[in-house]
Amino acid sequence: MMDINAVVEALRQLYPNQDIKPRTVPVADTFINLPPDCVHAATALLMDRFDVYHLSTITGQDTDHGIELLYHFWDGRGLTLRTRLPRAERAKGEPGEAPVIATLTDLIPGAAFYEREIWEMLGVDFQGHPNLSLFLLPEDWDDAPPLLAQTPGAAVSEDEADCSSPNDNQNEKLEDQESKQ
Amino acid sequence: MTRMTIPIGPQHPALKEPLSFLLTVEGEYVIDSSLRLGYVHRGLERLCQERTYVQNVHVLERVCGICSHVHSTAYCQGVEALTELEIPPRALYLRTLLCELERIHSHMLWLGVLAELIGFTTIFMYTWRDREIVLDIMEEFSGGRVAHAVNLVGGVRVDVEQEHARSILTRLDDLAQQVDTFLDMIQHERTFQARTRNVGHLSVEQVHRYCVVGPVARASGVDVDMRRDAPYAAYDQLDFQVITAQQGDVWARTMVRSLETIESLHICRQLLQNLPSGDLTVRAPRRVPAGEVVSRAEAPRGEVIYYIRSDGSDKPARIKIRTPTLTTLITLPDQLRGVNTADVPTVLAGVDLCIACADR
Repeated sequence: MMDINAVVEALRQLYPNQDIKPRTVPVADTFINLPPDCVHAATALLMDRFDVYHLSTITGQDTDHGIELLYHFWDGRGLTLRTRLPRAERAKGEPGEAPVIATLTDLIPGAAFYEREIWEMLGVDFQGHPNLSLFLLPEDWDDAPPLLAQTPGAAVSEDEADCSSPNDNQNEKLEDQESKQ
Repeated sequence: MTRMTIPIGPQHPALKEPLSFLLTVEGEYVIDSSLRLGYVHRGLERLCQERTYVQNVHVLERVCGICSHVHSTAYCQGVEALTELEIPPRALYLRTLLCELERIHSHMLWLGVLAELIGFTTIFMYTWRDREIVLDIMEEFSGGRVAHAVNLVGGVRVDVEQEHARSILTRLDDLAQQVDTFLDMIQHERTFQARTRNVGHLSVEQVHRYCVVGPVARASGVDVDMRRDAPYAAYDQLDFQVITAQQGDVWARTMVRSLETIESLHICRQLLQNLPSGDLTVRAPRRVPAGEVVSRAEAPRGEVIYYIRSDGSDKPARIKIRTPTLTTLITLPDQLRGVNTADVPTVLAGVDLCIACADR
């Protein structure tokens, strides 16, 4: 079983300038926040020093603070690395504008499907991923990534409706929705 | 020799669920493969954000058509952890009982599918006939053969009377005898062994690289089981073995799953003989306090993980589901490399795919 205190200590040594605070989350998990560019090195540290090899999954979610990625590791107990990426101006198909993070597939090939799913569902570009192509969505999908909060069908708050949306077509749909309200 | 690329699926001969494969073969041997999902993608994660916590129990039972109960179990225990509910012991025992009945049902169904694909139709007929015993028990218990709707946030909906428990115990004994017979048959049937030994091999390193879970990992000698490693429901009060094997091929997976079926029968007996008395539910609030939770459970195919985030309303802000099939699907190109095309169905069946689970 991994020793969370030792992991936290090692991460603090690796990133002395970061404020690394572990937070206990039910059922048996600990969350640690990290900047996006630290996730890859932190994963390598978990694997090399603590023999943590099992990445249960990666959760992607669109929150008020941007796109959040949660890397759920497991070794006798859970450890989740949480990172936040700025929300995309245009979420899909335009390199440089999509939220970007380094892939973990070079360390953990098992992360390939999870990253591919987040790419299509939230438009996050995983740099270095061997195959970012449609995985679950239909082959002719050309709409915005469906799990983004401003995508039609979601509960759109007024603040979010004002944000720039992924494409013009979508703006019209949003206006339609507002006029109906 | 010429190379050929053969598309198999989405509707295909080996599986009853849609999955698209692209096999590159050289002569009779597979040299590469790729796959694509999504033909039964229903957008359940997004749907859950539009439904209340109470409704979502029923949405999430539809993730899988075989292990529906374990999904609602993982979800309910997550929401219960967020609301800090103390679940009555009787409810936890009944939850666990259905989890294990489901495992027996899933493993027997799987053995039948594998047997049919390698041409051993007798075992297929026998296992599916005797699987009816456990399906009948589940139907009497919950009213449904597959979708049970037994779990509620805060407990379970149905009870098992003492007389009913005795009747179930008798039938489980009959089933145990049958499972012993199947185990004997596959261990002494040379054709079965010839078709499964050294087919679809996964090493310990590959299991670690691809983060594989469940019986496939255990058949490669990786000793993981959420029932023991992160006890949930009533598992901390039960006596059971985690079955592992070393060979890492389809044969090892058959043995692991068959022996697990026997362990599950053993667990069911313990549960029914020691059912604590008391309530079935505690009252759960409609609104869940803001917070987040990571809930894990062991489905018949391995670890299921749920991440649930609440914003304090009566609907979840995010539910992420990772089903065990996603961890085994990703190993298929490795497993299929160098395999004779006649063994492709065996390899596919060997990992026990559930495409609806993987698609969500």
